[in-house]
Amino acid sequence: MSRAVAIVGSGPSGCYLAQALLKAAPDLRVDLIDRLPVPYGLVRYGVAADHQGTKGVIRQFERVFERQGAGFVGNVTIGEDVSLDALREAYDAVVLAAGLSADRTLGIAGEDLQGVHRAGQLTRALYEHPDAAPLPELGSRVVIMGNGNVAIDILRLLAKTPEELAGSDLGAAPSDWLTRSGIEEIEIVGRSPASAAKFDPVMIKELVKLEGINIRVLGADRSDDPEAAKKLAALEAINGHGCGARRITFRFGLTPIELSGPDDHLKEARFLDGQGNTVILPCSAFITAIGFGAEVGLPRDLLIGEAVDREAGVLAPGLYATGWFRRGPQGTIPDNRADAQRLASHILADFEGAAALPEKPGRQAFPDWAGAVGYHGWKRIDVAEISNAPENRCRAKIASRDAMLALALQKEEVSQ
Amino acid sequence: MNIMLLYGTETGNAEMLAEDIMSELEGDHEVECRNLSDFSPDEFDAGRLHMIICSSYGDGELPASAQPFAEALKTAAPDLKGIHFGIFGLGDREYEETFGFGSGTLAELLIAHGAVQVGERITHDASGSDMAEDVAFPWASQIVTLAEEKIGEVA
Ligand SMILES: Cc1cc2nc3c(=O)[nH]c(=O)nc-3n(C[C@H](O)[C@H](O)[C@H](O)COP(=O)(O)OP(=O)(O)OC[C@H]3O[C@@H](n4cnc5c(N)ncnc54)[C@H](O)[C@@H]3O)c2cc1C
Ligand SMILES: Cc1cc2nc3c(=O)[nH]c(=O)nc-3n(C[C@H](O)[C@H](O)[C@H](O)COP(=O)(O)O)c2cc1C
Repeated sequence: MSRAVAIVGSGPSGCYLAQALLKAAPDLRVDLIDRLPVPYGLVRYGVAADHQGTKGVIRQFERVFERQGAGFVGNVTIGEDVSLDALREAYDAVVLAAGLSADRTLGIAGEDLQGVHRAGQLTRALYEHPDAAPLPELGSRVVIMGNGNVAIDILRLLAKTPEELAGSDLGAAPSDWLTRSGIEEIEIVGRSPASAAKFDPVMIKELVKLEGINIRVLGADRSDDPEAAKKLAALEAINGHGCGARRITFRFGLTPIELSGPDDHLKEARFLDGQGNTVILPCSAFITAIGFGAEVGLPRDLLIGEAVDREAGVLAPGLYATGWFRRGPQGTIPDNRADAQRLASHILADFEGAAALPEKPGRQAFPDWAGAVGYHGWKRIDVAEISNAPENRCRAKIASRDAMLALALQKEEVSQ
Repeated sequence: MNIMLLYGTETGNAEMLAEDIMSELEGDHEVECRNLSDFSPDEFDAGRLHMIICSSYGDGELPASAQPFAEALKTAAPDLKGIHFGIFGLGDREYEETFGFGSGTLAELLIAHGAVQVGERITHDASGSDMAEDVAFPWASQIVTLAEEKIGEVA
C-alpha cells in the first residue's frame, strides 16, 4: 500500500523529511508544495550569498526529487490557492514545514519611521526573493539591533568590499547597491551582555578576513561558562582588528527604548544601559535582526496551541509540523534534519497503526496542479541561473516571479 | 575485499557520499555502510578495511554523528592494533584555520589507539569547484588497492 504525504514548504525541513520518509519507505507518494516557483526555502533565500558551502545540502535535496521520486509543486500557496482542509482530505498525511518568515518587531516607539528596516525583509531583498520590496537607501551610519547569526550575516555583507563577494551568488543589482552604499560606520548592538550573545564564535572569527574595516568591541563582560568563553575570546581576538575605512563597533547590554527623527525620518536610536543611563546612537538606518514569527496564511498559533503532541510534531490526526514552523525560529539546518528524521519515524509508525484505512488520492485530487511548477520547470530556472552567472558569481538569480514562471511553465507546455 | 564504510555527518553530505562510494564499490567488494553513531569501537575487525567519511562542524569540531563514537573510543580505549582504516574528510576552506579538522581529529584518535591509516587523508572543499565524489572515488579505489596488500599480509 502506498500512502500519500503532502509536505507544505520545500525548505530544509521539508526536504529532509521527504528524504527520510522515502529512504525508509520508497513507495510513498510524497509531494513538496511551495508558494514559490523555486524550492529550498531559506537555503536559497536566507543562508548568506557568500556561504556557498552551506548551500551544498542542495545536492542532497536534488536527489530527493531526482532519485527518490518526490514531486515538487511550486507556485501553490496552502491557505490561499488550496485550503488546508482540502489538502488533508486528499492526503493520508499533511506536514506543515512552512517556516516562519515574518520579522519580529521590538515594540518601541518609532519603528515605523523611514530608515527602520527588518532583517528578513532586507535579506530577502539582498538575495532577490520574488516578493521582496526594493533595497532601501541606508545612508552612512547603520545600526544593527540583534546578536544572532542573522545579524552577523548582515554586518558581514554590508562590510565586505566588492572583491570579497567573489564566488558568491549575490545578484548584480544588490552587488551594485552594496558598492554604492556609502556606509561609513556600522554599530551592532546586543540587548544581552556579550557572554549571552546568540552568534556562533566562527561567525565572529570570519570577520578578520575582511579588508575594508576596523573593528572595536565595547563593553564585553566576562564569564567562566565554556560556551560563553569561546564567544568572548572570539570578540577579544577581533577587537582592534583592521585599518580599513569602515568602522565596526560591537556594543552589548543595551535595551532599545525609542527611535526618533524629524519628518518621519530616523535620526537616532535611544537605549538604556545596565546602569539605567541613556545611550544615544545617531544613525541613518536601524536594522532589527531579532527573530521571526508566523505569517498570515496558515493559522500557526491555533494549530500549535491545540497540538496533540507538539514535541513530537503531531498537531492532529494526519496533520504534523516540523522545522521552524514547529519549533519556532531557532536552530540551524542540522537541527531541522534531526527534527525531520524523528518525525519521519513517527509518521511511518502512524501509517502502520492505521493500515486498515483506505489510501487517499494525493495530488490526483488537484487537476489544477498541471499549471503549477514541477521539478523540471524549476530545473530550467536553475540551469538558466547557473549558465547566466557573470565571471565572479556562481549564479545569477532570476528575481521576478513572472520571469521564473515564464521559464518554468512556457517550455513545459511545448515539451508535452 | 570486505569493507566497512562509516560516516560522520552533521547535515547529511557525508552520508550521501558514503552511499555513493558504496554503489561504486559494491560490484567488486563486500560493503556495509553505517553511520558512526551506530558503530561501536568493539566492532572493528582486523579482516576488514574501514573506510571513514567525516565532515567538520562548528569551529573545526567533529560532526554530531561522530561525537558519541569518539567519546566511546576515548572511554573504552580499546587496542586497535591490526585495524586498518582509510579516512576522507568533508570540509570548507572558508573555515581556513580549521579546514578538515573533523576528519583529522578522528584519524589521530584511531592512530593513538593503535590503528593503521591506509593511504592519505584527503579533504573535499565545499567552496571549491570539484564534486565530492569526483575526489572521493579515485581516493577510494586507491585505498582499496593499498589495503588489499596490507590486509592480505596480515591475514
Ligand atoms: C537570514 C537567515 C540566514 C540563515 N543562515 C543559516 C546558515 O548559514 N546556516 C544554517 O544552518 N542555518 C541558517 N539559517 C537558519 C535556517 O535557514 C533554518 O533553520 C531553516 O531554513 C528552517 O527550515 P524550514 O524548512 O523549517 O523553513 P524555511 O527554510 O523557511 O522553508 C519554508 C518554506 O515553506 C514555504 N511556505 C511558507 N508558507 C507556505 C504556504 N502557505 N504554502 C506553501 N509553501 C509555503 C516557503 O516559501 C519556504 O520555501 C538562517 C536563517 C535566516 C533567516
Ligand atoms: C557552521 C559550519 C561550520 C563548519 N566548520 C567547518 C570547519 O571548521 N572546518 C571545515 O573544514 N569545514 C567546516 N564546515 C564545512 C562542512 O564540513 C562541509 O559543509 C561538509 O560538506 C558538511 O558535511 P556533512 O553534511 O556531512 O556534515 C562547516 C560548515 C558549517 C555549516
